Amino acid sequence: MPKGVLVDLTKCIGCRSCQVACKQWNDLPAETEYFANTWDTPIDTTDNTWTRVKYYFIQEGKEVKWRFVKRQCMHCLRPACVAVCTSGALIKTPDGPVIFDARKCTGCTYCFSACPFGMPRYTSGNWGGVVLQKCRFCFDTQGTYDRIGRGQAPACVRACPAGALLFGERDLLLKEARARIAAAPGGYVNHIYGETELGGTSWLYLADVSFHDLGFPFVSFLSGVAAAATRWTPVAAGMWFVSKYRGEAAEDVTGREGGE
Amino acid sequence: MDKVNRREFLKYLGLGMAALALLDEAELATALPAAEKSTTPAAPASYKLRRAKETRSICPYCGCGCGIILFSEGNRVVYVEGDPDHPINEGTACPKGIALSDVNTVVNRSRKRTASSARFTKVLYRRPGGQYWEEKDWDWALREIAKRVKKTRDSTFEEKDENGVVVNRTQAIAHLGSASLDNEENYLLHKMLRGLGVINIDHHARL
Amino acid sequence: MTNHFIDYKNSDVVLVIGANPAECHPQAMKWIMRGKAARGTKLLVVDPRFTKTAAKADVYAPLRPGTDIPFLLGMMNYAIQHNLYHHDYVVNYTNASYLVDKGFKIEDGLFSGGGWKDGKFTYDTKTWQYQKDGDVIKKDPTLKDPNCVFQILKKHLSRYDIKTVCKITGTPEDLYRKVCETFCATGRPGRAGNIIYAMGITQHTYGAQNVRATAMLQLLLGNIGIAGGGVNAQRGESNVQGSTDMAMLYHLLPGYLGMVDATKHPTLKDYIEKETPKTGYWSNKPKFLIGLLKAWYGAKATKENDFCYDWLPKLDGKDHSHMAIFEMMAEGKIKGFFAWGQNPGVGGPSAAAELKAMENLEWMVVVDLFETETAAFWKRPGANAKEIKTEVFFLPAAFSYEKEGTVTNSGRWLQYRWKAVEPPGEAKSDLWIADRLFKAIRKEYRRGGEFPDPILNLNWSYDKPGSEEPDIDKVALEINGYTVADGKALASFAKLADDGSTACGCWIHCGYWAVDPDLKVVAAKRRDRTDKSGLGLYPKWSFAWPVNRRIVYNRCSCDPSGRPWDPSRILVAWDGRKWVANDVPDFGATNPQTGAQVPPEKSAAAPFIMQPEGVGRLFAAGLKDGPLPEHYEPVESPVRNIMSSQQNNPLTTRRKGDFAKVATAASPEYPYILTTHRLIEHYQSGAVTRNCPWLVELMPDMFVELSPQLAAKLGIKAGDAVVVSTTRGAIRCKACVLPTLRPLKVNGREVEIVAMPWHWGYQGLGSGSSANYLTASVGDPNANIPEYKALLCNVRKA
Repeated sequence: MPKGVLVDLTKCIGCRSCQVACKQWNDLPAETEYFANTWDTPIDTTDNTWTRVKYYFIQEGKEVKWRFVKRQCMHCLRPACVAVCTSGALIKTPDGPVIFDARKCTGCTYCFSACPFGMPRYTSGNWGGVVLQKCRFCFDTQGTYDRIGRGQAPACVRACPAGALLFGERDLLLKEARARIAAAPGGYVNHIYGETELGGTSWLYLADVSFHDLGFPFVSFLSGVAAAATRWTPVAAGMWFVSKYRGEAAEDVTGREGGE
Repeated sequence: MDKVNRREFLKYLGLGMAALALLDEAELATALPAAEKSTTPAAPASYKLRRAKETRSICPYCGCGCGIILFSEGNRVVYVEGDPDHPINEGTACPKGIALSDVNTVVNRSRKRTASSARFTKVLYRRPGGQYWEEKDWDWALREIAKRVKKTRDSTFEEKDENGVVVNRTQAIAHLGSASLDNEENYLLHKMLRGLGVINIDHHARL
Repeated sequence: MTNHFIDYKNSDVVLVIGANPAECHPQAMKWIMRGKAARGTKLLVVDPRFTKTAAKADVYAPLRPGTDIPFLLGMMNYAIQHNLYHHDYVVNYTNASYLVDKGFKIEDGLFSGGGWKDGKFTYDTKTWQYQKDGDVIKKDPTLKDPNCVFQILKKHLSRYDIKTVCKITGTPEDLYRKVCETFCATGRPGRAGNIIYAMGITQHTYGAQNVRATAMLQLLLGNIGIAGGGVNAQRGESNVQGSTDMAMLYHLLPGYLGMVDATKHPTLKDYIEKETPKTGYWSNKPKFLIGLLKAWYGAKATKENDFCYDWLPKLDGKDHSHMAIFEMMAEGKIKGFFAWGQNPGVGGPSAAAELKAMENLEWMVVVDLFETETAAFWKRPGANAKEIKTEVFFLPAAFSYEKEGTVTNSGRWLQYRWKAVEPPGEAKSDLWIADRLFKAIRKEYRRGGEFPDPILNLNWSYDKPGSEEPDIDKVALEINGYTVADGKALASFAKLADDGSTACGCWIHCGYWAVDPDLKVVAAKRRDRTDKSGLGLYPKWSFAWPVNRRIVYNRCSCDPSGRPWDPSRILVAWDGRKWVANDVPDFGATNPQTGAQVPPEKSAAAPFIMQPEGVGRLFAAGLKDGPLPEHYEPVESPVRNIMSSQQNNPLTTRRKGDFAKVATAASPEYPYILTTHRLIEHYQSGAVTRNCPWLVELMPDMFVELSPQLAAKLGIKAGDAVVVSTTRGAIRCKACVLPTLRPLKVNGREVEIVAMPWHWGYQGLGSGSSANYLTASVGDPNANIPEYKALLCNVRKA
């Protein structure tokens, strides 16, 4: 059964312990940062910062809303990054995580072009190239950094004091999300981000403001693949695309515009 | 549920049962994969915490009093997480709590854990007009401090005040203590200071 | 805290005023959110800034810094005017019906008895006392007598109507009314309202009266002593509760025993006569003090020599708190100084002047983890090290998990922490340092010296054979208390005696080091999660002082006949024959001699056992600046006080020299209000967290928050370098422009508020300007806390 995480943005208090917990578990060093007006440094994910919480101020009439949005690899059900990976380093596991084998990564960075969430980052590899770095959903086939393979929640979920993160089977999380929306009329926009977007993602979001205002992309799966493909030679890209996705284009699930 | 199972259960859910309030009990049971209900699989040789020692502590920052588990190998802290048995924080922690290892052990650019280079770990002395610290040993420092305490106390000692009341005090020594020290430490310090006749005593609670 | 963090889940309404749990006490926020999810708890947030806590509020009401008293008095007025107060609770459990001296008056912001003495304004509190018939206080249970507390209070509050309050606080009237309505609805039996505060309430020149106002509101609404209620002070450090209990304060001995003072207590007999009330639990005070003297002076302390009372140093009737210490230091009166785990160079008021005062010291000892600004004061920017004659000793200390011992959280839980790793290098635990230092000093005195007896005879033997560290068991047992004859731990302070047969270092902690008969560990080490009540009391988890009581004043959770006001949240209840208790009763439930049940009528007469009159005080003669809170402006205020001609608290403590600087009211030079605050990523002066790379990454730089309107007016953009100045000095930092601040309409005029975190200093991995270079050394007359929260400043582009 594929796993997922339900991120309830109405509960997040913006404490960012998820950010530190990720570094604490994965042995990731601190960045050197400077003042950021919105208090949410690092200002972007990096090779050593796989998740970050971005702060949004949303003005609604006289009222200001302050919302905190944790972002990381969404572990798409049909990951564009995996689709465009030329080396086979990136794989989608049956349990949900999209992971990569650093030894295979050739540093082509196509995955960056393909990812609609802009998540892949790169670090220097052993042979002068670059190697992909991103959230691996605390799943590690090598065992060193494995949590979910050992039945534990990801480090960020484990740390969250606000109860904003819930780890479990994706279909049960969807059920839980629907139940929360139903139980609190007006408390949420009637939309679960990631249920269908990009063909569905393992990480799912609930919010009380429009996902458009929180920087979530509403694009199709194929647009990501296409973006990566523009960097290939036309012939190679065409052959690869036809061989891999013949007949599927018609079924592509485009990102649904939110129902809110 | 016994202790071990409850702990693994919480780890899996991440949040404790209250978070899943909207799922009924049957669903909750199925939310747990079979493996988690019994035991966690044996850790592979490469597992991050395979050789780590677990120690229970209380967070030294705000007044919440959260339970913290420190995982250490030798004298390096290799991981920190909230104590899942602790009724206040239930396994969670804020960013300061999670980052507790930084005070002793930091992760360097090569993603290796090394001793914090910012810690001051030596007894130091700065002489009058000096422009740098000099390294000293404990015996020297304690002896020299003791001499200064005695000299200051003895030269400013008030045995009786102007009304002839025995006051046994010095006003020339002051102590600003700390709300970060343990109870037993604060107790000994207070006792020592009163023993010496110090009345200028204060700490964070005033501020 | 009267209650504890987990209990927040039991609240129907939570009023957060002067606190920011989402940022400063995240687990507290978790329990508020748990209540919101489980029982629909309403969260009201009152704060000058739109904080992360406010972002989760049902109602966010802004107020001008320093106007909490009118805000809270207005709420009480609303409760009385709309008959929303808890009548039976007020009549039975507070002093509402007590008659006050007929001479008591309030005129133009001053209470009767005020006058000038030795250049200082003080009150003679004769007219603040109760009317008495012999020893019996006169009462009017109908609450009609014009001299009864209720009528005096009602009249006093009537001046604080909604319009007047909002003129002062700048709170929009509709929001203020919503706060009043929602919170005062908890005045009904069976409803629980919780007030959470922190430094936003205390750091004012009337901080103690601010706290009083929260307590009075809770008494009126019957919210003290119940699950989900209380006045909950969220404390800012892991052990500030414990270090206060241990009296790391000039005016106290451990366990809140007032420090002996030559002007009042030349002898033990004087102390006992003057400081021991005839009624209430403090009537046992002699046992506590004599227990302490026995613990300190052992066999030398005998009844014949007044248990060595004369060996205690005595105060001189003067202030020796933080600001007074630095004033004395600046005057050259202090020669030696220990900064033991504190960094006043960043955290103290007028910090630049405090750093300068350190230049007058002959010697200084810093015990810390990092090279703090205080440790390095001689090389601070602008200082000439060659000219500074102070000798400085730096002693490296162990961090929390590099040693073992107990800490006490805000909910009064004493919890044990075990040692994970060795301290690095030569760092040592503070227990080791204290033990060795005292031994070194005692060694010097063996060769003679001024009055060496108290030093040579201090009971000090904590050695542990085979161990470098002192024996923590021995220290803990001494704190806990023991029978002198056999050295066995006492289970409760009820066993203490005043004849020298028991010794006890801190009576309120008595029981924390007694072995739990079921779990076979000392109480502070207990880790059992049993919670039969379902209220989150966890009686077998660690130890809560006093006597493992989790919610204090819990007799008030029932009506006088012992029936719980709220059957769904029972702490204690009389079932007709006996008391059924989920928590440890805070009253005599059984007769200590016979063990027989004590029927409810007896405890109903005195549910607040620590008060001599046995009831909660809506009117309190014990404060120096008045028996009731009254609005005064902060020392630095942009406006005139519209309530009276008293601009400031007339008893405000003010300082001399460099510490005397304050701006005049409505100063044109300093037109904006400055307030200070904390951030989740840093702790206190940042001495520790600014050396933690992960935390510096999260919050790297010092900044000042400006409202978008003010920034636009001054031509300042986010990220610009700006200079913030007060009459104490100027600092440079980045401009942060966010809608978290907005101007408030105060008495028809728009007033801008700017805010600064105070975690930075010039040392460490993450360095920056210190906000406290700008703050003033003026204080509250009762507690001497500095007014950090409401000042005047100017801002310009650098």
